[in-house]
Amino acid sequence: MSELTYEAASGRLEAIIERLDSGEAGLRETLELCREGRGLVEFCAAELDEVSKGLEALRLDELVGRLDA
Amino acid sequence: MAVPAPSTTGIPGSALPGPYAVGEYAAALRARLRGFARVQLTGEACDVKVTRARVYFELRDERGAIPCAMWREDFERLGLPPGALAQGAQVVVAGGCDLYPGSASGSPHFHFAVTGLRIAGEGDLLARIERLRRRLVAEGLCERQQALPRPLLPRTIGVVCAERGKARDDVLAGLQRRGWAGRLVWAFAPVQDRHAAPAIGRALGDLAALPETEVVIVARGGGSLADLLAFCDETLCRTVAMLRVPVLASVGHHTDRTLIDDVAAVSCSTPTHAAEAAVPLHVGAARDALARASGRLARAGRRAVTDRARSLARLSRAPGAHVARQRRELHGRTRELQASARRRVESERRASARAARALARGAAAAAGPQRTAREQRLDGFAAALAAHDPQRTLARGYALVEDADGVAVTGAGAALAAGDVRIRFADGAVGAKVREDT
Repeated sequence: MSELTYEAASGRLEAIIERLDSGEAGLRETLELCREGRGLVEFCAAELDEVSKGLEALRLDELVGRLDA
Repeated sequence: MAVPAPSTTGIPGSALPGPYAVGEYAAALRARLRGFARVQLTGEACDVKVTRARVYFELRDERGAIPCAMWREDFERLGLPPGALAQGAQVVVAGGCDLYPGSASGSPHFHFAVTGLRIAGEGDLLARIERLRRRLVAEGLCERQQALPRPLLPRTIGVVCAERGKARDDVLAGLQRRGWAGRLVWAFAPVQDRHAAPAIGRALGDLAALPETEVVIVARGGGSLADLLAFCDETLCRTVAMLRVPVLASVGHHTDRTLIDDVAAVSCSTPTHAAEAAVPLHVGAARDALARASGRLARAGRRAVTDRARSLARLSRAPGAHVARQRRELHGRTRELQASARRRVESERRASARAARALARGAAAAAGPQRTAREQRLDGFAAALAAHDPQRTLARGYALVEDADGVAVTGAGAALAAGDVRIRFADGAVGAKVREDT
């Protein structure tokens, strides 16, 4: 299974909410969708945290030098 | 070739002529070079250097280069605008080969002695770029980058730009506007001279080689077409087209169109725009949207449970309500039945009373005046009947003889035959034994 991406997670979350809003899901499906949705929310929040914790600026030449060392 | 003037013994065993004095040889070489046909050449001017006496530059294209020199006097006579012979300018030169033979203290050098020069107009450059563009399009290289998926929220972004330039600040401003603060890898490179295209190509390759790089921005501020020519370099464009990561190009002003804009995933008008395109999502807005989605999920979950709980409660109350409703209906019907019965009894009573009154009237009418006569006749029948009653005969003193079976014995013979008889009087019966009268 391929690694989850923000795009895939947010797209799936949107689909889940649309399904829940339709009112067509039964109780079991609703609860499963809610559980899956909560996991996706956590994943997306972690991704957002990753790009919010402060700019980390690196120089490519230093990075390459470090890798070569 | 100059006449050899051997002054020193040559290399033993060598079949070659000489040795000649180098100055003479150089002079002979210059004469030979000057004998080459005088021609016009075209290429890109590089390393332009203006001295008091001469203007030096190199004429280059992708396959080679020739050092050129022009007398300053001749150059100024051309009346070119200042800076026309700039780095990267496409020029046409006329002249021929020449060689400075050097001296005891001066180094020799070959050059193409330029006697005429024309700056190729932008039209020439654009035509060349257009030819290259068509070739890249025909090879499908302008679509490869556009087919690459671009992340909504990259963690690591590579940036190729000049180390000191406004483009760098603009990229930072664009990322800041998105609320993005992840990992940024700067790959600084010259963006204008003949070293620019190879350096940019190397930087892009190195950035793409980093596994964490998800998108790369190539940014440069505005300039003349000649200034931006590095971004029309064929090798650079081919490198960009084949990269695994999407490249967002922002080269020059929004009116400029270089070849890297065609092969890149996205062509942006400004470095700020490129930065925003690198992070399509606004981090703050995404966080808000996520919070809303989380709330909707929670509400949907709660609603699903509470709605069903209410429904269950409603259903659980239903049997009791049903019984109560049935009971109410039953009571109603009972009351209706009782009322109906009362009405019926009353009605029957009234009907019976009416019938009784009718019967009474009928009976009275039927009895009427004949009643007495009937009663008298009835009394007569009763008296007649009583006259025939044996009991009355017994009352007058007679007796009745009966055999054992209760049958009346009416003769003497029958009495003898019966033997034992019963004699009934009016006041009772006695047994008797019959014997023959002697």
